[in-house]
Amino acid sequence: MWFDNSTYARTLLICGVAVVSMMPGCASLSSKAHGTPDSLEQVNRSIYDFNDYLDRKIAKPVADTYVRITHENIRLTVSNFFDNIRYFNVILNDVLQGKGQQGLSDMSRFLINSTVGVGGLFNVASEFGFDAQEEDFGQTLGVWGAGEGSYLVLPFLGPNSVRDAPDLLVSTATNGLFYVGVAAVTFPLAILAAIDKRARADKAFNFRDQAAVEPYVFTREAYLEHRRYLIYDGSPPLDDEFLEEIFDNGEGDQP
Amino acid sequence: MYRWKIQLKRMGITHRFRIGLLLILLMIPQCASAGEATEVVARLQSALLSTMKDADRLGFEGRYRQLEPVVIDTHDLPFIARIALGRHWRALNEEQRAMMMATFQRLSIASYAGRFDTYTGKKFKIGEEKPLPRGQGRMVESQMIKPDGENVQFTYLLHHVNNQWRIANIIVNGVSDLALKRAEYSSLLDREGFQSLIAKIEEQIRGYAEGSKK
Repeated sequence: MWFDNSTYARTLLICGVAVVSMMPGCASLSSKAHGTPDSLEQVNRSIYDFNDYLDRKIAKPVADTYVRITHENIRLTVSNFFDNIRYFNVILNDVLQGKGQQGLSDMSRFLINSTVGVGGLFNVASEFGFDAQEEDFGQTLGVWGAGEGSYLVLPFLGPNSVRDAPDLLVSTATNGLFYVGVAAVTFPLAILAAIDKRARADKAFNFRDQAAVEPYVFTREAYLEHRRYLIYDGSPPLDDEFLEEIFDNGEGDQP
Repeated sequence: MYRWKIQLKRMGITHRFRIGLLLILLMIPQCASAGEATEVVARLQSALLSTMKDADRLGFEGRYRQLEPVVIDTHDLPFIARIALGRHWRALNEEQRAMMMATFQRLSIASYAGRFDTYTGKKFKIGEEKPLPRGQGRMVESQMIKPDGENVQFTYLLHHVNNQWRIANIIVNGVSDLALKRAEYSSLLDREGFQSLIAKIEEQIRGYAEGSKK
């Protein structure tokens, strides 16, 4: 068929798979003393408002409908499938970061879930102690010493950074869906994956709506701090500069 | 290398005893304070747990009233409010500062009352207490253990004020609450001014009371 091999179809395929792989930026709604310098703030804010509008008008209503019409167990099966099909990216980045033992564990997880777990539909590996890890190429670059660079807000995809953006390509290339090659299969699966991710991110979005007085800044700071948390595997060093400023009372008068 | 030994030998026994006693007395505050910061965190978490277990019966207002004394006692809320405003604090007059303190206090209590509104078998587990790198205060690690396995990591930073350890910052899964507030409030003050900040915080408090903001 004409869209199997055309450049246009391939580009759409890449975008579709990229959407699947990029939603972690939205879902990870798991600092400097005055907030992160944001050199592209004006552009970022415009894109943030655009994304927010699309989310409220399209993504959230679709995700809410999906939750309403499906049983929790069905949604869990769907989530397991997409997590598994993306998991090779985690294994690759374990290796790139020199995490040999974790890499073996994650490979075991992937193999067990792909076989015993019937193509990743069931998360059997966790029962054997092979818990899911969260690694990506942006974290790898961070471990290798790369600074985060400018904060970015990408259309449709949400918060990102110059350092994390290359993971778009790496996670796409390591996503099993990318190799299916049949648009009639890939596109619906890519859309389902996006809906699944948005449904899972609903708590994070609700938390932001409740906790933020300045949602754009809240999202930026929470995203960047959470990325730092992931790079340091849950034990980031305390921000000495910030500690010094707050505890040494560098600013303000005593109440 | 042995000079200090020779000097010590030349001192009288009484003098050596005095030095030893002085060293012991200097150590006592450090020994006494170790664990006190943990007690503050434990007290807060115990109150949160008992409020969660009775959440439905209490309702938001009841949870607010129950948590109010504990939150005020365990947190240094005036300090947090002042730091959250950063350089803007100096530009506020006395009336604005008082308004900020009062509003921030109500927000802090409301956020606990709003968020800890269900009990699904959650537990708190307190970990290590350590001094901060330059002795500015103490750090207490803790985890909220959820039945679904999605645990939440808390790091409490406390400082000693008015003869008591009080929470000055909470880092949740690597995200610093104080840094977040400081960035937000600073941006809002720069773009929209003090009255807008107060109005948005009041809206946030209403949101917690009503169950959701939007």
